[in-house]
Amino acid sequence: MTNPSTITANAPAGERLRKAAVYGQSLLPPILSAVVVLGLWEAAVRTYSIPAYLLPAPSLVFEVLIDKFPMLMRQLGFTAMASAIGFFIALISGIAIGAAISAWHVFDRAIYPWLVISHAIPKVVIAPLFLVWFGFGMTSEVLFVVVFTFFPIIVNTVAGLKGADPEMLQMARSMSATPLKVLWKIKIPGALPTIFAGIKISATMAPVGAVIGEFVASNVGLGHVLIQAVGSLETPLAFAAVVVISIFGIIVWYAAEALERVSIPWHASQRISTTG
Amino acid sequence: MSATRSIAGANQRRDIVLDGVSKRYGTLHAYGPISFTVEDGTSVSIVGPSGCGKSTLLRTIAGLEPSTDGVARFAGQPITKPLENVGIVFQRDLLLDWRNALDNVLLPAEFRGTCDDATKERAARLLDQLGVGGFKQAYPWQLSGGMRQRVAIARSMVCHPAMLLLDEPFSALDALTRDQMNVLVQDVRQNENVTTILITHSIAEAVFLGDRVLVMSGRPGQILDDIAIPFPRPRRLSLREEPEFTEIVRRIRIHFERTGILVG
Ligand SMILES: Nc1ncnc2c1ncn2[C@@H]1O[C@H](COP(=O)(O)OP(=O)(O)O)[C@@H](O)[C@H]1O
Ligand SMILES: [Mg+2]
Repeated sequence: MTNPSTITANAPAGERLRKAAVYGQSLLPPILSAVVVLGLWEAAVRTYSIPAYLLPAPSLVFEVLIDKFPMLMRQLGFTAMASAIGFFIALISGIAIGAAISAWHVFDRAIYPWLVISHAIPKVVIAPLFLVWFGFGMTSEVLFVVVFTFFPIIVNTVAGLKGADPEMLQMARSMSATPLKVLWKIKIPGALPTIFAGIKISATMAPVGAVIGEFVASNVGLGHVLIQAVGSLETPLAFAAVVVISIFGIIVWYAAEALERVSIPWHASQRISTTG
Repeated sequence: MSATRSIAGANQRRDIVLDGVSKRYGTLHAYGPISFTVEDGTSVSIVGPSGCGKSTLLRTIAGLEPSTDGVARFAGQPITKPLENVGIVFQRDLLLDWRNALDNVLLPAEFRGTCDDATKERAARLLDQLGVGGFKQAYPWQLSGGMRQRVAIARSMVCHPAMLLLDEPFSALDALTRDQMNVLVQDVRQNENVTTILITHSIAEAVFLGDRVLVMSGRPGQILDDIAIPFPRPRRLSLREEPEFTEIVRRIRIHFERTGILVG
């Protein structure tokens, strides 16, 4: 009942108000905890006169955020662009490779160990290699995002497609279904909830990957801003950049959730109240 | 026994004929040898202990699981690949969560590429007949277990199957719903005149729905008894309290008591 999505356009006004109130109440604890943490932080910085290059007060970070807002937004544009391109390449190739792995046993045996090894390698450590291989600029950054985000998509695609109910597949055989129709009408829709779980993880990892890519191979983007700010001890600006990246990550997460909601409204995780 | 029926005769009548059919998984002998005939348009119930190979036998008849010995025939032809047109209902309804009731019923027609307006009308009519006509647009999770199983039955019937195979379809339902389903299935298959094989753990259900009841032994399952059920149709649920009915139930139960297995 506390699910905000139960608020529907044709619900009676009183009911909607009540639900909005319930939703508001659910927002109260996180807001309160944030106010408390930020308050303590501000108080500590002021009481002990901590220098801004060590730990800037939240108020100062906010000031810089407002002051440098146009620049930060422009730089976010670069980061978002690299994240989006890298993520979509990872999405398409991840689903294709995942589908191939689930369809052909040989492919599975040949490719899967390599994927696991590639996942076990700490990506941050090999980021500088991308600079060596692909040079300074967008290509390195985008490819790093791809490598950083493709694994959850592949793994979840494989799990989803292989997870098709064997009894259901047997029934499809008794309905003289062709493999292509089985894939299209049973396996893919059935795999969507699992694939979406992978998409949500990868989509939120993409901006992180882009920022790491910008650390080593870019002179634009929030990652570049961050590393420059830290280098010149402009710590408040570094904090402001982190705030922008984080908020962007949160927006990406909710966008992915919204997409999930419209794509698989039938799934248990997405069901709105049966009475509504 | 009747496997020697002439091919020409069998072609006209779409009988299911098993002749010494047997299935092994490696060293595990699942069932057989089994011989029986299900005549076109009749309804045969099979009862037998768990694990005696009933589901495997049903899969063999559907052409989903080839037998290791003997021959199973449908309309005179040996069954070597999945039969084109069978309706199957399992204990689990196997409805697709992302399709509403009507679209679930239409699935086999879509697979066969025969989903035209007439089929859609038929799907809707079947749902009406089965008492879930008001839920055509409802999704599986909005339906009760009994309603879901009715949708599954409509799905099994939508393409005018040549045979209906029911593998413990009501085992997950409560007793009252189960009684209701027995009556509904009787009505639907009476209308459609479809050859039916029902596997069940309920002796009363087997007798109520069958023109014959086959009693199977423990694994490897073989036919212990083949009992004709003489009651005219449509049968009423209260028939189950009649002495003639309980006498047949008793006869079947004695088989299981004798072999140390109690069912139902
Ligand atoms: N695909 C299979 N591979 C190996 N053994 C199987 C397979 N299917 C069924 N069996 C075995 O065959 C026997 C009969 O199974 P089943 O037909 O499901 O019995 P029932 O439906 O009568 O309970 C069981 O012992 C089961 O373990
Ligand atoms: Mg079984």
